[in-house]
Amino acid sequence: MTEKTLEHILEQHEEMAVTVEPNWIRIAAPASRLPELASQLAPEWAFAGIVPENDPKTQSLRLLYVFYARNGPWVGIEVRNHDQSIPTISNILFAADWQEREMEDLFDVQFEGHPQLGDFVLHDSHWPEGTAPMKRHSWEIRQKTTESRNLSTPRIVEASGSFVMPIGPIFSGTQEAIQFGLETVGEEIVFAHIRPFYKYRAVEKLLEGQTPSVALLIAERIDGLTAFSHSLAMAQAFETLAGAPVPPRVRLLRVFWAEIERIRSHMQVLAGILESTGLSVPANLIQALEEDLLQLSGALTGHRYLFGLVRPGGLSRDWSDTEIENIVDRLGTILEPSQRILDALTFDNSFLDRLEAVGTLSLESASTHCLVGPVARASGINRDLRVWQPYQAYDQITFDVPVQAEGDGYARFRQLCQEIVQSYRIVQQIPPLLPAALSQTEDFGITQAGTALGYAESPAGAVICCVSANSRGMVERCRVITPGLVNWHAFPQSVRHFAFQDFPIILATFGLSVADLDR
Amino acid sequence: MTGFLLFLSLSLAACVLAFVVPGHWTTRVSSVMGSFAAAALVYSGIVSFFFHSWSLNLWNLQGWGLLEVGEPRLPAFFVVVTGLVFLPVSWFSPEYLKRLQPRYDLRYFVLIYHALMMAIALTFLARDVITFLLAWEIMSVASYLAVNFEHLQESHTQAGYTMLGASEAGFLLTLGAWLPLIAVSHSIDFSAIQAASARHHFPLSLGWAVMLCSFFGFGVKAGLFPSMSWLPRAHPAAPANFSAILSGVILNLGIYGIIEINGVLWPIHNPSEGLLIVVIGSVTALIGILYASTENHLKRMLAHSSIENMGLITIALGATFTFRAAHLPELAWIAGIAALYQILNHSLYKSLLFLGAGAIDAGTGDLEMDRLGGLARRMPWTSAAMLAGVMAISALPPFNGFISEWLIIQSLLRSVVLKPTIDQVIFAFSGVIVALTAGLAATAFIKLYGMIFLGPGRSAASENAHEAGYGPRWAMGSLALLCLILGVTPTYVVTGLSPLAAQLAGGGVLGGLIPPFFSPRHLPRSLGQTFGPLGAEVGHHLLPGPGLVFLYQSPGPSPNVVFASSPSYLAVAMGIFLALSYLALRIVKKHQRVVRHEPWQGGVRQLPADAHYTATGFSNPIVVIFQAILRPYRPVEHEQFLASHFHSAVQREVRESYVVDRLVFYPAATVVQSIAGVLARIHHGKINVYIAYALITLLAVISLSLWVFP
Amino acid sequence: MLWFRKGLDQPVRTLTPKTSSTLHGLSPGRPAPTPSRDAAPEDVCPTHALKEHDGVMDVDYTQCIQCRLCRQQSLKNKMNWEEGFHWAQMTSTSLPDAFHHSVHVRVVDAGDCGACLNELHQLASPVYSLHRLGIAFTPAPREADVLVVTGPVTVSMKETLEEAFQSMPTPKRVMAVGTCALSGGIFSSSFAVAGPVDRVIPVDIAIPGCPPPPLALLDGFRLIMGARPENPLDGRVRK
Ligand code: SF4
Ligand code: SF4
Repeated sequence: MTEKTLEHILEQHEEMAVTVEPNWIRIAAPASRLPELASQLAPEWAFAGIVPENDPKTQSLRLLYVFYARNGPWVGIEVRNHDQSIPTISNILFAADWQEREMEDLFDVQFEGHPQLGDFVLHDSHWPEGTAPMKRHSWEIRQKTTESRNLSTPRIVEASGSFVMPIGPIFSGTQEAIQFGLETVGEEIVFAHIRPFYKYRAVEKLLEGQTPSVALLIAERIDGLTAFSHSLAMAQAFETLAGAPVPPRVRLLRVFWAEIERIRSHMQVLAGILESTGLSVPANLIQALEEDLLQLSGALTGHRYLFGLVRPGGLSRDWSDTEIENIVDRLGTILEPSQRILDALTFDNSFLDRLEAVGTLSLESASTHCLVGPVARASGINRDLRVWQPYQAYDQITFDVPVQAEGDGYARFRQLCQEIVQSYRIVQQIPPLLPAALSQTEDFGITQAGTALGYAESPAGAVICCVSANSRGMVERCRVITPGLVNWHAFPQSVRHFAFQDFPIILATFGLSVADLDR
Repeated sequence: MTGFLLFLSLSLAACVLAFVVPGHWTTRVSSVMGSFAAAALVYSGIVSFFFHSWSLNLWNLQGWGLLEVGEPRLPAFFVVVTGLVFLPVSWFSPEYLKRLQPRYDLRYFVLIYHALMMAIALTFLARDVITFLLAWEIMSVASYLAVNFEHLQESHTQAGYTMLGASEAGFLLTLGAWLPLIAVSHSIDFSAIQAASARHHFPLSLGWAVMLCSFFGFGVKAGLFPSMSWLPRAHPAAPANFSAILSGVILNLGIYGIIEINGVLWPIHNPSEGLLIVVIGSVTALIGILYASTENHLKRMLAHSSIENMGLITIALGATFTFRAAHLPELAWIAGIAALYQILNHSLYKSLLFLGAGAIDAGTGDLEMDRLGGLARRMPWTSAAMLAGVMAISALPPFNGFISEWLIIQSLLRSVVLKPTIDQVIFAFSGVIVALTAGLAATAFIKLYGMIFLGPGRSAASENAHEAGYGPRWAMGSLALLCLILGVTPTYVVTGLSPLAAQLAGGGVLGGLIPPFFSPRHLPRSLGQTFGPLGAEVGHHLLPGPGLVFLYQSPGPSPNVVFASSPSYLAVAMGIFLALSYLALRIVKKHQRVVRHEPWQGGVRQLPADAHYTATGFSNPIVVIFQAILRPYRPVEHEQFLASHFHSAVQREVRESYVVDRLVFYPAATVVQSIAGVLARIHHGKINVYIAYALITLLAVISLSLWVFP
Repeated sequence: MLWFRKGLDQPVRTLTPKTSSTLHGLSPGRPAPTPSRDAAPEDVCPTHALKEHDGVMDVDYTQCIQCRLCRQQSLKNKMNWEEGFHWAQMTSTSLPDAFHHSVHVRVVDAGDCGACLNELHQLASPVYSLHRLGIAFTPAPREADVLVVTGPVTVSMKETLEEAFQSMPTPKRVMAVGTCALSGGIFSSSFAVAGPVDRVIPVDIAIPGCPPPPLALLDGFRLIMGARPENPLDGRVRK
């Protein structure tokens, strides 16, 4: 089906050069044809993001628009940027909005027709417009010292007596730093602005010139709570570049730990939802169970957040079969009470009142934002890289991908609960499948320059990582498209027309990480 | 009498002088003359109220009776209130009028001002129907001219017409009350009418007719339901000093008319009539305060709040009439005190607030709360005076509003002694509404003060505001002081108002009350025993005056505290408490260094002005809760997009229609229109049809005449 | 109410010095100074935390991100590993007596990856239950005694961090949590990072670790409060 459509699309654009690689089709398109191609792909392909890469021939910058679909090859549209502007596709795929703004800020690529370029990743109060740090090959980046004195959001709402309610960057409890401007006339959020990138650490720039092993350490620190998936996605890119197959045991164990991370991360989001609705007893109980999982990880991997576990070509350690069995058992004892708590919540009216029909994100809105992860699945989009593009050992395992239709806060809550059940099901399937001996690829090395894609379904959604390496095995350019970058984009949409007191609840049901967005 | 004559001559002299003295002296001369005239009015009123009233025959109208003016207690009370409002307004005016100087001829202002003052005084003092109606008409025209003074603005002219139209409609309705009175007493003389009503028993229906016509007729002037929509239109149009008079005096005229007819000339004998007044008062108060809470234009908001206060006064009046008709003079007396107290208070604090609005208008050129802000720093005097006014109107001790509202609620709570349950229910509901009103009023006026005086300036105009001059400061300061005095000396005020209240209640009952706590006199022994342990007689040797407002002893065997409060000593205690806390803080903070830092704003150093709460935001919860009444306050939203997904604008329009217009006038207009539509169907425009109509009519007339005169 | 009862039904989860006799999973441990001949070479370390000193391979904990590369299987010599969590370091000279009984804490995320913040958040769970030790998180620095900063201070967060520090009443103390906050950690060379916390505001307590486990954080809080019991979970110990 997907392939037929692709053939059909390619027939219409015969003049374009098409490169077919395994599981990967690149179309070299002139910039002017980009919107047309994008709108043809949009119905069936999900837009992953824009990846900057160096043209191997001319060494000039070109952009790769990456799309992916269920069981089809990945599609990349190569667009050259001859220092002229590229037409925006954000009017076709709203998901491209932030990607384009990011490219503009970091690479000084101009997108024609995009109404809101500038002052995004690099706050204009610190870096003058046109700094384009990623374009340069030096660390010396101009910095301004002016104080950022304002919430520099444009006012959208035109109503008498409307005002902006500023939130952040430092707000409630142990929240991450991000700023919101809620435009309102009193009770109801009429429009929400979001100002991210307070925590911009320039990870993608930092990755340039690193060895794979260090690059993974950086990747897992993009978002500490889903560290394993991030380093897994990047490790896959390195492994593709190296051309070395990963031993089956490692592949299974990676799935094993990825699912444990998913359970832990979902627990953390659930605890956050419960806390935001003021149910501190169940919130604390779930949080204690999360701590159990952290201790389990800590005891068995040497790190509570699974940092340093993925190594290029393998895992940093192995476990005996009994250890694995014990982990599964322990997981069962942790999940059993959590299941009881979560079941009881579905009968708690005061809890349901705060989640039902709150923060609703329609299927339509979710698709135009090309959302990923539980947020997308709660809005009815059955999108999961584990099924769409099975990686590691996911093709050997049977599991379901739950999907909800409503798209409201309660749907997201249910989605997380159901995913935990599925993850436990996956974990249980692994011990019998494990081959006996572990053969780690000890001497991992990349000898050929190239670009490769690595991806993983992190607890929050698809992490897509595109790495270009040089022949010495160093990272030349790297692009990490995180679920945060995709899903935060839709968040302001979902709080519109809800009351202020719903805001923290909606925020919690999205379960998004700012570090993941800011990178 | 001397006072009144002095007043008349001063006012007339002022009118003449205005056209004699050089232009730049006009307003100042008028101010001096006006304040003396107002003082004379107060003097005259006080003398007549406490000592001896006077009367003066003007004309003998053959066959009808004497035209006369006079000053018994009731008019005297209103005359005092009028004088107390005019006095500070006279001080306030010269500076305020400066900004009108270039465009308007201020000599006419002086003329209108003094004519209005005289007409109002005359309306109160008229002792016969003809004089009253004449004075009333002059007053109506003068107040129309006053509201319309800035006639170069189209909207103002319209507001003036609306007011004049409403006033005349009410006038016609009141004729429906005057004519039966004249008919039954065969006289236009007030005293003759009063005598006639006391002598005879008239049918219930006549009583209802008089009551309904007078109540709803004068209700127009007082801004009572359902005819209050002219008020919020007229106030923003009038210059602030006239707004003060409009609210502080002219609304009282309506109340005066209601009391004069229903309380003095033709006292209500039927509790149901009183209950109707209570109900209408409650509805008025609720609607008034709801709109006041959500309105963000300062003057319009104050106008809505005037409606609320008129509602409260009406509730108290209704309670007086009901209790009186139910032969409960003590309770009627208390409710009467509450009504009179509230009239006095409202005139004072509302004129204070309107003068403050004038000062703000003069200082910033803006009256929209959403655009004002931070004026406490720029206009400290105005701010302090307004704070007093706001506290008074929100019924916060130690200011006067607290006492009258407290008395109103207390007298409503006494409804348990009323016989039919329905009466009790109505009283209980009104009590609830008064309590709700008080709560909402506090919210509304916190909004007023907070949005206008606190926080950052929200516009350039409020950043560059300038303080009012000495005249306005004195005017506002003296009103604020009066509010405070009336708030801390209620025992004296109540004693003063007592004779008039007794007249309305149908019997004096000051003696039936338990002597005040803390009074130099001892309590009766039985009470001393009961209340001694509560500290009833503590310090009665030391403290100078009576402190307690009321105790009501029920006729039963055991002394029954109905309600008691001691605002005077409360004020003293508050003062001591404040002083002590200040001292304690001083001691505690002695060794502490105070570091000042901008407020915490989530880590951002300075937020833009539009990131601060607005008045609209503040009142939004009320809009949401009372959607049913304030409907259709629903916003209509239009969204605009750029490049198909990017919002470029979200426009919100709020359409609202006044609840009274929506529920009463629009349906009425529709009915009238549909009747007209039905009638219009008869007009076919064909000549033969008209001929047919003519024939049918002719036949009908002939057969009717044959049938009637066979 | 219903949940209150359900909560009472649950077993007590709080760690006490007795129940936490084993550190299994509570703390990941960290490399310990090791005689050079047995130690991993300096260049293994991605953040240059290893420095040789008089025959001992020393670990600079402000730099170590606990990546465990210096003890990976493939190395011939490995660093020794120490268990424990008494990692908090006092970097200022005095701590006020005012903090002995209770401290209020405001957390500022200055570019955190999320793990350090989550460990702080975990302190509030019943397992660690920091409230019983007199420690509370506050929403605004205005009420805070201690400012906890996590993450390398990014350029965009620098002013905000300064503002938060200035908004606090005196006496105030700053606790830098995590290797990022102490040296920038793995992000130290990024152009978007303004530098470790002490380059922006004075730091009084430093807790290394990536992330420091909750017990290490508690150790830091107890240090601020003037007591450093053998086990920070011990609520009774006073100076
Ligand atoms: S654990 Fe990692 S960061 Fe720490 S000293 Fe060893 S190699 Fe360096
Ligand atoms: S120290 Fe480690 S865990 Fe803490 S913020 Fe930095 S990278 Fe994350």
